[in-house]
Amino acid sequence: MTHENHRRPRSAALAVGLLAILPVLAAAQQAAPRTPPTRGIFIEKSFPAIESGKWSGPRLADGQPDVQGHWSNTVGNHNNWTDPQGGIPGDPQTRNRKLGPRAERAPSRVSDPADGQVPFQPWAKAAQEDFLAHFFNPTEPKYIEPLARCAPGGVPKSFIWHGYEIRQFPGYVVFLFNSGTRVIHLDGKPHLPAAIKLWNADSRGHWEGNTLVVDVTNNNGKALFGRTGEFASENAHIEERYIFSADGTRYNYVARITDPTVYTRPWTATIPAVRYTAKDAPDGWHFETTLANHPKGEVIVERDERICVENNGGFGNVATGTPAR
Amino acid sequence: MTTTTTRRAFGLALLCATLATALPPLAGAAGSSTAKAPRAERIPRLANGKPDFSGIWQTTSAADYDLEPHATRKDAPPGPGIVEGDAIPYLPKALEQRRKNFEARNSADPRLKCFTLGVPRGIYYPEPFQIFQRERDLTLLFQFGHSVRTIHTNGTDHPKVPNDWWLGDSRARWEGDTLVVDAKHFNDETWLDRAGNFHSDALHVVERWRYLDANTIEYKATLDDPQVYSRPWTLGVLLHRHREKNFQLIENYCYTLDYDPHYPPKP
Repeated sequence: MTHENHRRPRSAALAVGLLAILPVLAAAQQAAPRTPPTRGIFIEKSFPAIESGKWSGPRLADGQPDVQGHWSNTVGNHNNWTDPQGGIPGDPQTRNRKLGPRAERAPSRVSDPADGQVPFQPWAKAAQEDFLAHFFNPTEPKYIEPLARCAPGGVPKSFIWHGYEIRQFPGYVVFLFNSGTRVIHLDGKPHLPAAIKLWNADSRGHWEGNTLVVDVTNNNGKALFGRTGEFASENAHIEERYIFSADGTRYNYVARITDPTVYTRPWTATIPAVRYTAKDAPDGWHFETTLANHPKGEVIVERDERICVENNGGFGNVATGTPAR
Repeated sequence: MTTTTTRRAFGLALLCATLATALPPLAGAAGSSTAKAPRAERIPRLANGKPDFSGIWQTTSAADYDLEPHATRKDAPPGPGIVEGDAIPYLPKALEQRRKNFEARNSADPRLKCFTLGVPRGIYYPEPFQIFQRERDLTLLFQFGHSVRTIHTNGTDHPKVPNDWWLGDSRARWEGDTLVVDAKHFNDETWLDRAGNFHSDALHVVERWRYLDANTIEYKATLDDPQVYSRPWTLGVLLHRHREKNFQLIENYCYTLDYDPHYPPKP
């Protein structure tokens, strides 16, 4: 799949919507000139800011902005939280491969503070560095990245682990991730009791124009943020904003993370995502789908079941329509 | 639709969603608040008029302990069975396999590893599951393992190049108010219950889902598997809607329990 596929407006009608984010896009380009796209997991080295505002795109019958479909992040997987295209520090396979200047790669997912680093307390910084130092030689179970054992990706790592599907229903937004499933409740019920801690936490959301605002508590903190070992504790409070562009082709995930057990101050994570449709070719990572068998040839994208622990596979084996035996 | 009207519609939708938590929408009652609607119409429906099975459901039966009639055992409460005709019509060789499974049930049941339960076991397993429904499909989210099954209701057929899936491939059509699901392309890894009842990868399941009333679904499944059974046979359970205030699924990724104490780092 070429990079251009992701950017091309899907239709003339959508192109009108695109104009609305053009000023922002232009500003972003000025700040960080767009570089030629790379293939594979790393698509973008910079991405546009998207302003929260009113939603003028299509809506579902219950009034929610219609953001259903297939999405994936654009800057990299969970190899490295703060340098998404920098690889895993200490990787034996790339140890001798020279990385260019930091400015040539996508920015840190830590958008605040400005230095791009998670504001860890000293004990937590030491724990993160200890994890990373043992990542390629995990002498104890705690050094094994939990996703490699088929654990759910959790919040926020699920957004940088393969593409995923969003389905919407009255009162709910449901994320079907490659590893794990997350339900955002929109009906205003209270959070689960604090004694319950979960891999995908407990989510209460509402829409403010083009922005899905989600309050996240009850996180068990076990999923970690990536192979570099950044983490939160079970005391984390995450305030998420999913800000969708006017043309519905992309959104930015912006999360304020507060955890007095682990950090010296609240900080912000930003993860860009783009939408995939039937016009895109499945690529085995961002967009892992098949076309339905429709008797009249209607083009319908379908997602296969996700199975991991049952196949004893380390990194989320995915059925992609190939006969199993 | 203008922005103003959509905003109003959204507000109304939120209000309706809140009310729906306490009381499922009764489509037949709309516009006739006092007259009692015919029973068949007093069920939740989608905008296209089809029954809306959205909600959180669970059986009260002892089916998962043993599909067949059984007195109490140390590892199972008693149950009258949910198989029409009581006994599953195994082929002789398969009956021997079932006997071996039963002997090994407390170690060999895939549920003990928290593996995906399969079809139809996920439906009558004693944990809740949630149905999210659109015109094009039903999304079944099982609390156990938090696995997801999609039942397609958009006129699509089984895939031309199938896999052997844990949850098979489900294509459905409506017969009046009954959802008829054709499910096949399974693997042979799942069991039907804790007593070792099983199937092969030739399993073919036809499910029938229909409302008895707004809070009760009658679920029937006919299982055909020429490698294991001498003829197709049918099981059935009632599914009850969870109506407890603020009830929700609580994710159960039980396969992580052996290693999750290692995370996250502690001060």
